[in-house]
Amino acid sequence: MDCPTCEAMVDAYVDGELSATESAAFEQALAGCPDCRRRLEETRAMSGFLHELPVEPAPDLLRARIERELRTISAAAAPRRTMPQWTKFAAMAASLIVAVSIGWVGGTFTGRSGAPGDEDLVSTYMRVASSDHPVDVASTDRHTVKPWFAGRLDYSPPVHDLTSDGFPLEGGRVDVVAGRKISVLVYRHNQHRVALSLWPATSPGNTKAKVVEHNGFAMAQWRHDGFEMHAVSDIAANEMEAFATALDRATGEDR
Amino acid sequence: MSDGFPLGPPLVEGPRPDAATVERFRAIVLPHLDAAYGFARYLTRDPVQAQDLAQEAVLRALRYFHAFRGEEARPWLMRIVRNTWSDFRARKGVNDQPLDVVEDRAAEGPDPEESALASDRRRHVAAALAALPADTREILVLREIEDLSYKQIASVLDLPVGTIMSRLARAREKLAVELRGRLGRREHGLPDM
Repeated sequence: MDCPTCEAMVDAYVDGELSATESAAFEQALAGCPDCRRRLEETRAMSGFLHELPVEPAPDLLRARIERELRTISAAAAPRRTMPQWTKFAAMAASLIVAVSIGWVGGTFTGRSGAPGDEDLVSTYMRVASSDHPVDVASTDRHTVKPWFAGRLDYSPPVHDLTSDGFPLEGGRVDVVAGRKISVLVYRHNQHRVALSLWPATSPGNTKAKVVEHNGFAMAQWRHDGFEMHAVSDIAANEMEAFATALDRATGEDR
Repeated sequence: MSDGFPLGPPLVEGPRPDAATVERFRAIVLPHLDAAYGFARYLTRDPVQAQDLAQEAVLRALRYFHAFRGEEARPWLMRIVRNTWSDFRARKGVNDQPLDVVEDRAAEGPDPEESALASDRRRHVAAALAALPADTREILVLREIEDLSYKQIASVLDLPVGTIMSRLARAREKLAVELRGRLGRREHGLPDM
């Protein structure tokens, strides 16, 4: 083997791309070729240095964003009306298991004074997201939606259209969770829906929205103007924060 | 080797993927998301842009998935990452960032377990890699960090295997030159040429 051949094989040798015969020939040639030995040494050094570099795994947020897109694509592809009832249930149950296993930081309401727990709120969201009739009263007009609740609930929830903030009001519904009737307002954000469950607060003061994201769901929990607010959606965490901010501002302008 | 996707638009999309296709995609392609992000990270040299690139590439891969014929999924996805990056750069007029921007954040924070010397070296290696031209950088990343074979790299870059071998040799030489400008060779075990 002459030196140019030997030199050309250095990288393939280091990378394990030579056959056993070629490797043996190369090693033999190497013995008589100091230049190629130096080259080999350097190539190994470069390879070793690059192997030392830290490898960053894909961030959770990226994973969640992709999951959300995939779910949207799957959902758009499945024609709802022809979907057999049991698949809808199975899908809902699967989502619920995911959602319940999330564990909502700082928000354990279950079993206390009959207030809804996280799993109730997520199932509320699932009813909104997967139903053909997400709302009982469909209107973007708060003056239609707000009076609709009168006589159906023992409280009057604040209702605001947030179209100018990118969250048009779709309507409202009453949900029975934990043996109690609560108001649910449904907002749209692009092709996603946001389910906002709200009921009168038992503690005073406002709190900042705490947003938790997991598996493509974003959940926000906060207290504003005498109401406990719980929002669930498959939008991104920062969009959920924007939603809570817009809602608080709209409530503030009211007074 | 020329059965792949054109660099840049127009791109041929398949029929709208149904739920079963999405499931198959999730099982076959999504396990390589870490690799796709890692590659995107080195191409863009920016963590935020890398996420955008990886996301767009994965969604594009889903639209192309109808053309996936059971070849190896990892190089297939890497190729789409690379093509998406070319489109990104063409679309946004993004060029390689000036180096002083990337120089200092190319490496992770110090690891207490590690000697100061090794961590210092790692930082220099990362900076030297980031300083290389895009085509040199990508071939080194595909080989050394993503651990692809010559054949797989050839399919990602759409080049003959022989070209991969010679380009890789040149790329390592360039890295050595770049590093030599940054490291004191004696302390870091860099051989003399």
